[in-house]
Amino acid sequence: MKAWHLRRTSVERFFDRYFVHTTVLPTFLMMVCVFGLPLVFSFYLSFTGWGLDQPLFAGRFVGLTNYDDVLTNAVFTKAIYITLGYTAATVAAQMLLGLGIALLLNVDLPGMRVFRTALIVPMMITPIVGALCWKLLLDPSHGVLNQWIGEKIVWLGRPDTAIYAIWLVGVWQNTAYVTLILLAGLRSLPTEPLEAASIDGANRLQAFWLVTLPMLRPYILVALLLRTIFEFRAFDNIYAMTGGGPANTTMVLSMYTYLVTFVQFDFSIGAAAAWLMLLMSMVLCVFFILVIRRREAL
Amino acid sequence: MAAVVGSSRVRHLESALIYATLTVLVLLFLFPVLWVLGLSLKTRAEVFASPPLYLWWPTFQNYADVLTRSDFVRAFINTLIVSTSAVALSLGIGAPAAYAFASFPFKGRSILFFALLVMRMLPPIAVLVPMYLLFNKIGLATTRLSVVLAYTTFSLPLVVWLMRGYFEDLPVELEESAWIDGASRFGAFMYIILPLARPGLVAASILCLQLAWNDFLFSAVLTNNATQTLPVMMAAFNAGDSGMDWGGLTASGMLVTLPVILFSFVAQRHLVAGLSSGAVKG
Repeated sequence: MKAWHLRRTSVERFFDRYFVHTTVLPTFLMMVCVFGLPLVFSFYLSFTGWGLDQPLFAGRFVGLTNYDDVLTNAVFTKAIYITLGYTAATVAAQMLLGLGIALLLNVDLPGMRVFRTALIVPMMITPIVGALCWKLLLDPSHGVLNQWIGEKIVWLGRPDTAIYAIWLVGVWQNTAYVTLILLAGLRSLPTEPLEAASIDGANRLQAFWLVTLPMLRPYILVALLLRTIFEFRAFDNIYAMTGGGPANTTMVLSMYTYLVTFVQFDFSIGAAAAWLMLLMSMVLCVFFILVIRRREAL
Repeated sequence: MAAVVGSSRVRHLESALIYATLTVLVLLFLFPVLWVLGLSLKTRAEVFASPPLYLWWPTFQNYADVLTRSDFVRAFINTLIVSTSAVALSLGIGAPAAYAFASFPFKGRSILFFALLVMRMLPPIAVLVPMYLLFNKIGLATTRLSVVLAYTTFSLPLVVWLMRGYFEDLPVELEESAWIDGASRFGAFMYIILPLARPGLVAASILCLQLAWNDFLFSAVLTNNATQTLPVMMAAFNAGDSGMDWGGLTASGMLVTLPVILFSFVAQRHLVAGLSSGAVKG
């Protein structure tokens, strides 16, 4: 046991009295300064016309003009649909495939650790590197995929194939995320209900549908929530593979906001787009949190 | 709970089927990485051979070339500095806060905690736009400190959430007896609580490291040529005139991703806890 100094210095007494304040304050300040203030500033910015050469608060107040501009911009409104469609399709595939793999890995057989380790590799890879790997595989003239099928399809340059390629890479990259969460869930479930079901004569499909799946629901909801949030903000793969093209068919909201802000340098419009995106993800979040709370999983 | 498997002959057939399915899945999931690893070990002529080469004598020339490139080495050092600083800062600030959240009821605790959760959910690009402007005005843009601050704020909610769970699981008697023995609040935290929460610290540091090491977006906007990190250099490599240098591109890709993969595998068992980050208890 450690021997403590019984006589306190005044510094120690101060920290004892204000322990909570001194421990929470740094986190709080950090979040307010680096996270909160910029958000408030961009909220202000989204109601002004502002250029990079002006002082921070010199923008002219323009009311809802920026929002009006963004919402009537065909590229932006299309980006909303593309983002939602991409998110839904990617998350659905990740959930189904992830659940399937988790169920397989949960069978008690020798060597399962090796399979699990191998299957989570795509998730460990630096996303931008993973996307570049796929870009080489899908390369029109030297990519191995085209070499195999003997054609020269420009997978990432055709409006009808690019979004599917992006989808495929998203599924490849993060299915393991779902697998790991659901596998942890499966491992933590009690065995008694399943045994009871099998004694009562339930077959394995029934046992899965009626016992395992309902018990797994909190884990499924968490995986669903996290994947939806992360796919909604998808950026790296799209930046590396298509940059939003061809013909804006892979232009998701993150990509649009990035291009408007850091390529066209229109910070006011960018701030409006960013805030709209923020509101949308807030709505998604609150919805999911309410559902999870109702299931008493949180 | 492990799945229940039926009687002997059916069981063998089933095991075989499960192994077969898993093998196919592993091949599908690993193929892109293995193929690119293969490309990185080929000469220029072998890379562009048609039909593709499946057997060749591996060369490490691409790796040697990349490792002697001064821009690669500089980006590597930048990444190392930035991600270790971000991990240290996130844990240094976040762990004590998590302990306070776990052990001391205070006014506004649940609201603050919920605010942290919400912040984790916000899309990074939405924060990046104004962050860039403000950093630019105060002269922080293009410095390594700017990305360290950005990564730290994105890691903090994760650290606090994750560590709070670990601290809550520790028995209250531990710190109480330390206080009775004369320990200060900080003393008890540093010498009694923190060592016991080491698995949590490991998990949190891996997740922070991954976040910082792998990030592209913040580094792309907030750094310049001298301070950029590896993922940004990779993307530029791709877009630049060396677009046909597949050997160099693939070799540097492997080098970028290797450290973070090794790190994650070493601590694999801590990872799951971090992924769901306290959203599920257990």
